[in-house]
Amino acid sequence: MSIFLKLTMALIKTVEPGSEEKKYKKIFYRIMGFIAVFGIMLPMAFLVGVIIYTLTAPLAEIGSGTNAVELFLHLVSVFSFVFGINVIFTVFYFSGDIENLLPLPLSPYQIIGSKFTAALISESIMEFIVILAAFAGYIIAAGVPFYSWIIALFGMLTLPVIPLVYCGIICMLLMLITGFIKNKDTVNKITGVMTFAAVIIIAFLISGSGGFDTEHLLSAISDPNNSIINTMNFIFPHIGLIVDAMVGNTFINILFYIAVNAAAIALFMLTARLVYFRTVTGINGARQTKHKSFSSVSEKIKRRSAPVSYLKKEFKLLFRTPAYFSNCIIINLIWPVFLYLIYLLQGKTNFLDSFIYNIHNGDEETVLVFLLGVSAVSVLITAANSIASSALTREGKHFAFIKYIPMSYMAQLNVKALVSIIISGAGMILYVAAAAIYLNLGIKLTLCCCLLSLLSVSFVSYFGIFMDSVNPKLIWDDELNALRGNYNIFFNMAIAILLEAATCAGAYLLFKFTNFGALMIIIILFIFIMLLNALSYLLCSIKATKNIDSLSF
Amino acid sequence: MIKFENVTKTYNKKVRAIDDISFQVKGGEIVGFIGPNGSGKTTTMKILTGIIKADVGKVTINKYNIRRDPIKAKQSIGYISDSPDMFLRLKGTEFLDLIGDIYHVPTKKRREKIESMCERFELTDYLSAPIMSYSHGMRQKIMVVAALMHNPPVWILDEPMIGLDPKSAFELKQMMREHAKAGNAVFFSTHVLEVAEKLCDRVIIIKKGHILYDGTLEQLEDQNKNESLEKIFLELTEK
Repeated sequence: MSIFLKLTMALIKTVEPGSEEKKYKKIFYRIMGFIAVFGIMLPMAFLVGVIIYTLTAPLAEIGSGTNAVELFLHLVSVFSFVFGINVIFTVFYFSGDIENLLPLPLSPYQIIGSKFTAALISESIMEFIVILAAFAGYIIAAGVPFYSWIIALFGMLTLPVIPLVYCGIICMLLMLITGFIKNKDTVNKITGVMTFAAVIIIAFLISGSGGFDTEHLLSAISDPNNSIINTMNFIFPHIGLIVDAMVGNTFINILFYIAVNAAAIALFMLTARLVYFRTVTGINGARQTKHKSFSSVSEKIKRRSAPVSYLKKEFKLLFRTPAYFSNCIIINLIWPVFLYLIYLLQGKTNFLDSFIYNIHNGDEETVLVFLLGVSAVSVLITAANSIASSALTREGKHFAFIKYIPMSYMAQLNVKALVSIIISGAGMILYVAAAAIYLNLGIKLTLCCCLLSLLSVSFVSYFGIFMDSVNPKLIWDDELNALRGNYNIFFNMAIAILLEAATCAGAYLLFKFTNFGALMIIIILFIFIMLLNALSYLLCSIKATKNIDSLSF
Repeated sequence: MIKFENVTKTYNKKVRAIDDISFQVKGGEIVGFIGPNGSGKTTTMKILTGIIKADVGKVTINKYNIRRDPIKAKQSIGYISDSPDMFLRLKGTEFLDLIGDIYHVPTKKRREKIESMCERFELTDYLSAPIMSYSHGMRQKIMVVAALMHNPPVWILDEPMIGLDPKSAFELKQMMREHAKAGNAVFFSTHVLEVAEKLCDRVIIIKKGHILYDGTLEQLEDQNKNESLEKIFLELTEK
């Protein structure tokens, strides 16, 4: 086996979560995997497939049959690029293995090639299911020949190549031209701010480009000379080629597709050869700071209670570690952008206006739906920021600290849950306050929203910690890897979303099909979420502490 | 101070890391724990500190059972692990303050301890910097300061000399002697036989989870006349 392949396989293995040897944990993981795949991934993929299928048939009649699938694949490529920047920076420049690889007699091709391939494989696995669904939706609706499936399979495996090549070249050139990026924190902060800024800018550009409402969106998609697709095909030329290969001129288009990808890889490897070794040396993990005398620092040394000190430590690590800051903290700020986009999507239907009108008039059904929405968003925010579901994983190699300090496991877990509750809860209360002002909710409903939100956040926080305690991913060489490919985060999100969906559906159905009024349903909802809180707290105090105790690390 | 009675630990029901071993460390004693790689030293240290659970056996620290009274037992321990890369994004003072709070060290005593120990280790000027910017040796030193700040009656040190410069290693050895002299127990693992020879009142030699020798170095040398400690150790552990 060539050095390139061996190195690639070794790098992939370091990112993979470790397999579990205990039988009951294996079963637990299988059940969780089943729930995640059948409860979240497949329904999501099915939804993507149905949307592409539904749009493709009418669009085909006016000669724009490929627009929907092309637009979707471009969107996936944009996401690959945006999220790939941080990943590529980390794996090329700041992963723990760099110091071990550089002294070895390896060429930049081998190091960069293997690292790129490992990143590409993990990216392809993540995108596989949605790309498959998009292609399937298109192939079934357009009735293209059977060999399109082979082209689709080829496309699924290779679509992230060009976005990641862009990321790689940008990273290397940035490292070459900027003298100041010599430590991981600066890079992570820059990429974090860039990602956040990109989301905001895209949202506002869309909202300012003649409307983002459903009508404009449909007319833009149906335009055979769609300017967005033309521009995107210039940036990601491989998308147009792979889609065209399914429609006709298969051989030529596939040849061009391969040529474009090969050219991109060649350019990337050439850049690596010229730039990589010059830029990777001299990088360090942290900024040097000026040293101070003991008298100037001794004033800061003072006694606090152990939980308060532990809480401060958790906050400092979350805010100071860029990978955690962008994935666990900044992500809480992106939600208003999504809500704004939903607001824009209403277009001329003005369904939000009627919603606001109904709330003002105290319409029971609307108030109930609004409260259920608050609870659902609270659950989603808490699960998505993964503060709780990575609370033990983030300890990494120094997990033993939890076990040898004279502080009970439950006291430590309470502090970890509190961090998640404070950060997720503060975000939610801010949004509820903004909604209260905008929708003129009134004191009672606002307080009700805040309380329900906090209860939902608290439930997911404790549940997330329990999930992480089952098999925390403690071996990682970079903080980003603690979160990437972490099944606990994904399983926690899947279960929380399913439970919340069932709760909301149950509450709504109770309202619709029984004589209970909205008030009674809201009381039942509160009691149910309090029970979920009690259950997740018990899981933490009984099972999670036991899991921690039995971990031999 | 330390009682380790008939303790066995098996990993994944396959690998028996330590097999029914017992020993004691009394107050005023410095005991070195010596053995080849994979002999069970770190497992023993981790069971002593409550990091891992023994399958059978009883561990008592300062009269507290580590399983029944874990908080009190852990409060009595100053533990230095084999990896000093901990909370790298905290500043030196922040880390020491956290440890001081967890072990309930009063502010005045904490300041005095930090100042005196950091001066001995020449660490004072670096306390306001993030631990991430420290060298390996400096990280090891701050771990030593953190572990010993609350003046625990039992010191459990896993390879404490690794990464320390000669002056800091000398200071730590001095501290160990001073601590034992005050009636406390010091139990540490090491690969450096010279350190054990100069510092220990007693050594415990372990191999493949079994104790091969527990006694003073003088007795060991008497039993093996005209042989160096290194040779005795190799003969014992290669049998």
